[in-house]
Amino acid sequence: MVNGNFAVGAACRIDVPAHSRRVATIPVGLDPEGVAADAARRRAYVACSRSDWVTVVDLEALEPIARVPVGKEPIDLVFDAPTGRIFTADAHSDTISVVDAETLTLVATIPVGGYPSGLGYDRESRRLYCGNSLGGTMSVIDLDSLETLATVEAEIGAGAIELDRERRIILCVNFIDASVTFVNADTNEPFGRIAVGTGACAVGVVPERGEAFVVNSVAGTVNRIDLDEVRVVEELRVGEAPVGLTVAPAHDRVYVSNRGAGTLSVLGVADGVEWTQIPVGDGPGGVTVDPVDGRLLVADAGSGTLTIVEDLLAGRPPAPALEDPSPLLGKRLPAFTLVDHTTGEQRSSHEWAEKRYIVNFFASW
Amino acid sequence: MIHIDIWEGTDPKPEVDRFVEMWGLKGTILLDETGDYARTLGVRGVPTNVVVDADGTVRAFGVSRLDELDRAVDDMLKT
Repeated sequence: MVNGNFAVGAACRIDVPAHSRRVATIPVGLDPEGVAADAARRRAYVACSRSDWVTVVDLEALEPIARVPVGKEPIDLVFDAPTGRIFTADAHSDTISVVDAETLTLVATIPVGGYPSGLGYDRESRRLYCGNSLGGTMSVIDLDSLETLATVEAEIGAGAIELDRERRIILCVNFIDASVTFVNADTNEPFGRIAVGTGACAVGVVPERGEAFVVNSVAGTVNRIDLDEVRVVEELRVGEAPVGLTVAPAHDRVYVSNRGAGTLSVLGVADGVEWTQIPVGDGPGGVTVDPVDGRLLVADAGSGTLTIVEDLLAGRPPAPALEDPSPLLGKRLPAFTLVDHTTGEQRSSHEWAEKRYIVNFFASW
Repeated sequence: MIHIDIWEGTDPKPEVDRFVEMWGLKGTILLDETGDYARTLGVRGVPTNVVVDADGTVRAFGVSRLDELDRAVDDMLKT
């Protein structure tokens, strides 16, 4: 398969040192997912879904400085600078937690639908949007009064949400349904639905191009969507199991976190080509850009860390770097003895001797 | 298919039960609670699939996309 001028396929591409610089790897808690930057306080807030807290990271000292308990399994997180509030979508509480960034205390809890897993934010219109996966709805919340203004029908697996502020369109991405629901941001009325790839779970908008990019984790693709025609126009390849996305401040590239590869893809907006992959922590998820210094903040669900890296690429490189294939290829699989989840017994790789099989590493999150 | 659960951080039992029910996972499910085995193999993310031949040789590594996995299995069956 050829994507642009770069051949892609079984070989993985990976960053070379000239493409990025690792600034820090900071322990934050179990299964960190959502991350947001607070420019004024020079902080990052990280939702640690299995720890049920938000970790506060000092972006100057590059160390955690506080943990704030929130609801159960906080997945996504946004920060509202005008009110200094942090919002988390608590998937197992069916709530949004509201934390005061000044006092670092929980100040309110907003009931929403079943399994809230994604948040969208409109600073100017003072709206917070929440995708409720189980019921397939989107809650519309007033950022100042914290009142729920509407509950909009989406599709099962509703999660990630982004806005096209120019066109006044809300895009609600539905993981299970593998679709995007289009909603009028002024009336909160849905007006369209398009099918995307399997496991759709993140979205970003480049308004001046009239385009959105939707990440499909199971399909391993990114869909480019024409927002005027409300249709998918291109399918792009990135790394293994992509799950998170943010648009670069210059809007010339998007960053896609690859949960299956431990990397961040740098995907060109105009050419649709993956420029490189930047190594981060294990099983990365949420990603954002620090608006002060442009550094990338990546929540690594597998390693329980926040990785801070700099993208050093001025533009598309002459060629992507190729990662050496796994050193295990062509060699014997190292032996294992592990506990069987069902029986509690020790199981050894010797049981599968002389059999062909697939080992699938997974995590329940 | 051998499924190996990693990186739970908390008691994996209820989390894996929920996951198995939700996704209809079939086959042997093992727990690598410390993540040591995954680390030995150089696993950096999930899912990671490792295709192993009858003589224990690793034929493919990574291959999280279904089409990649299908192709890797087909290649192994041809050998």
